[in-house]
Amino acid sequence: MRAPLLSTAGTIAARELGSYFRSPAGWIILALYLFLTGIIFALSTLSPGSIASLRDVFAVSGWLLLPIAPAITMRLIADELKSGTIEPLLAAPVSSAALVLGKFAGAFGFMAALFVPTVAHAAILFNISDPKPDFGPILAGYLCLMLVGSMYLSIGLLASCVTNNSTLAFMTSFFAILAFLFAGAGAQFVPEALTSPLLSLAIGPRIGDFSRGVIDTSHIAFFVSLSALCLLLCVCVMEWRRWR
Amino acid sequence: MIEVNDVHKSFGKVPAVRGVTFALEPGQVAGLLGPNGAGKTTTIRMIAGFLSPDQGSVRIQGYDTLDQPLHARRRLGYLPEAAPLYTDMRVEEYLHYRGKLFQMDRRTRMAAVSRVVDRCWLTDVRKRRISKLSKGFKQRVGLASALLHNPPALILDEPTNGLDPSQMRETRRLIRELSVDRTMLISTHILSEVERLCDRALIVAGGVLLADGSPSGLVASAQASAMYIIQVHRTKPGDDARVYKMWQSLPFVVDVQPDQPDRSSLLTGWSLWMLTARPGAPDLRESIANAAYQAGLLVRELKRESATLERVFLSLIEGSESTRDLAARETQAQHEEAEKRADANEASLRTSRDLVTRDLVSNAEEGNR
Repeated sequence: MRAPLLSTAGTIAARELGSYFRSPAGWIILALYLFLTGIIFALSTLSPGSIASLRDVFAVSGWLLLPIAPAITMRLIADELKSGTIEPLLAAPVSSAALVLGKFAGAFGFMAALFVPTVAHAAILFNISDPKPDFGPILAGYLCLMLVGSMYLSIGLLASCVTNNSTLAFMTSFFAILAFLFAGAGAQFVPEALTSPLLSLAIGPRIGDFSRGVIDTSHIAFFVSLSALCLLLCVCVMEWRRWR
Repeated sequence: MIEVNDVHKSFGKVPAVRGVTFALEPGQVAGLLGPNGAGKTTTIRMIAGFLSPDQGSVRIQGYDTLDQPLHARRRLGYLPEAAPLYTDMRVEEYLHYRGKLFQMDRRTRMAAVSRVVDRCWLTDVRKRRISKLSKGFKQRVGLASALLHNPPALILDEPTNGLDPSQMRETRRLIRELSVDRTMLISTHILSEVERLCDRALIVAGGVLLADGSPSGLVASAQASAMYIIQVHRTKPGDDARVYKMWQSLPFVVDVQPDQPDRSSLLTGWSLWMLTARPGAPDLRESIANAAYQAGLLVRELKRESATLERVFLSLIEGSESTRDLAARETQAQHEEAEKRADANEASLRTSRDLVTRDLVSNAEEGNR
């Protein structure tokens, strides 16, 4: 069943990716993201006396993606549930796993498309700075964007699975991601027993490490496993919908 | 081809389908009839694999929808109610997408898309965005996508719902064409649709299958209790009581109901009667006409109302305990509101008829004394 799973997921992903570029919402998200990253790049890197690196751009990526990822995922399944298009989709030979994987891959593809134009920032940096910036931290930064983005998208997809209201899906995923961003800061206000678990869920320090060019496998494992867990929960929710 | 075996489905504590069992043979076209909330869509969704039954099983061409869901779904075409589609896609693009979901290779998909576009009369709109299409065209796109993989079994949920009369006629024509070489299950509450399109009718209410047979067979079984409509002229005010007694005394007549003719007929002294014969009674038109003649009544109209699927349907639905059970499970607020509305409507509708009936009964009692 492996081949049909992947090919079906690929078909769904291609449709989703296309639908972002067919709708004004997709272009608005793209423009918004490029505007925000452009502002940060100009203020942090292009100002006189700045260090020749994209460290500051990557360091704020956790916050930059906070409104972007829920906006990408909010309609993925919620809209299908609302409009009823989920019915012919699930009546076709499409497993819940293929559906979730396809939706995630489509959203991930769109998010990756958002990052492509930001390569221009790195190109500008290489042209104007002397000495040239280190290539390693920039690659680590893009890896960080992909991993953080995956986690955010999988949280957003889960939120989109549980409701047929895309606004509610946006709000749910927005606050869930916000909780991860504040987990580190919140650790000092909770009982000692909860401090350690909260700190381990904090994503701020992990993003900080990536932006400095440190690729820690525990950070990679954290983002990948959390994304996988959310996707697994999505599959469970979709199966539950058949049985409810 | 489609086997539904004792399926049950509840949503929370509300049972939607209770023990529905039927099997459709290859080439058979069945109509699933029932009032709103009868469990038609839930039954269809279970057959289509969109919902799983709590109990029982569904098989499509021998494949169980739970044990071998992907095999079962490959053999089924499904058009949900209101034909939900991705409106941002173009017609041909959407059909190719559906073809890919059914693992069709490029060459097969091209041929299949071309075939269904032609068959569903979509040639002129094949490049058009779905959001720009009329409801009738959207319905056809939904039907085309259900037919794309050439399934041996096809399920259509309310295929003509919301269409204008000409679109309805076109869709029915298409369904009739499609029914030649495949098993079809059509859910509808339009009885004439079943009479025209189907060779089998399944009547459900309250989640229970109440009747299963050919439309003509169901109608024939209802012929046993035929109804006669007669319009006679009253010569004097007390005539109604006399006529009422006379109809009651006729052999094989089990029920007599006065009905209200149109206003002008009422004012000019005509009265309308509905006589129900005992099941299995012979044709009573001659004895009714003869009784009227003997009583010196002028007859303007006498007809034996041929039983229709509508009458069969209504008698089954009204007599169904399941419908009442289901209604009882409605929330208290909804129930009270519905009752109030129904009472108000009924009171206004029956006022005049009740008055006539009361007058007749009291006159008859006086006559007896």
